[in-house]
Amino acid sequence: MIILVAICAGTATYSISYLLNKGPVFASALVTLISGIFLPYFLPENGPTLMAVAACASYAGQVSNKNVPNLREMIMVSLITGALFIIFSTSYVGIGGRLGSIAAISCFTWMGIKKVFKNDNLQDNKISYINKVNFSEK
Amino acid sequence: MKFDKNKIKIIICAIAGTTLSWFINHEIGFGAIVASGLVGVIAAILLPASLAGTAYTASFVGMSSTSIIPSLGAALLAGLIVGIMIIFTTEIYAGIGGKGGTTAALSTIITKIILGLFS
Repeated sequence: MIILVAICAGTATYSISYLLNKGPVFASALVTLISGIFLPYFLPENGPTLMAVAACASYAGQVSNKNVPNLREMIMVSLITGALFIIFSTSYVGIGGRLGSIAAISCFTWMGIKKVFKNDNLQDNKISYINKVNFSEK
Repeated sequence: MKFDKNKIKIIICAIAGTTLSWFINHEIGFGAIVASGLVGVIAAILLPASLAGTAYTASFVGMSSTSIIPSLGAALLAGLIVGIMIIFTTEIYAGIGGKGGTTAALSTIITKIILGLFS
């Protein structure tokens, strides 16, 4: 449920921000406000946790479209945010900005994963290019 | 650090964002998430984009519990600190989701340390 809410909130923020062109601050604040009002109302047991998850994912959804260029990547960032929220659920409780820090770590994690795979592809291309040159020389 | 008009505006917005969020959170009792969301929506409607971002970042500090920021005076101090932090970190990691939250968390911890020195 936490991961699902994170994905919904993250993608909603990203969509409002870039697809509807409303800007990241308005998008995140709107998603945070709506989740803060409606989630505890409809889900009284898990509401407080889920609205924190939604707020956290909405902070991650503020990411620039240079770093996360499409909605598919935003789903991955939201997924990481949900997972990290579960891991850090008992850390620094009560510190304002804790959720934003989790969001930032999620974004850095995704950018790191992307960089690693990009480098792997580059290395593969380099090796195949070297092999090609060697074969042609022979 | 040279103080121009823009930096003063940032500090005013930061103080307003933090205190308003803290007030809605603890005095009115709407809770941290609604308080921050409300401040963010109001800021995004009324202020230009950069200052709205400042007020929204500052509102994260107001989400702190009363064990961290116990009074409105402490919220004012926290607002000042987050304003200064925003000025110093404008260029760093721009475009990363959660940058504002990280800045707010650091400011909250600094505020807690300062308050701890005087208690």
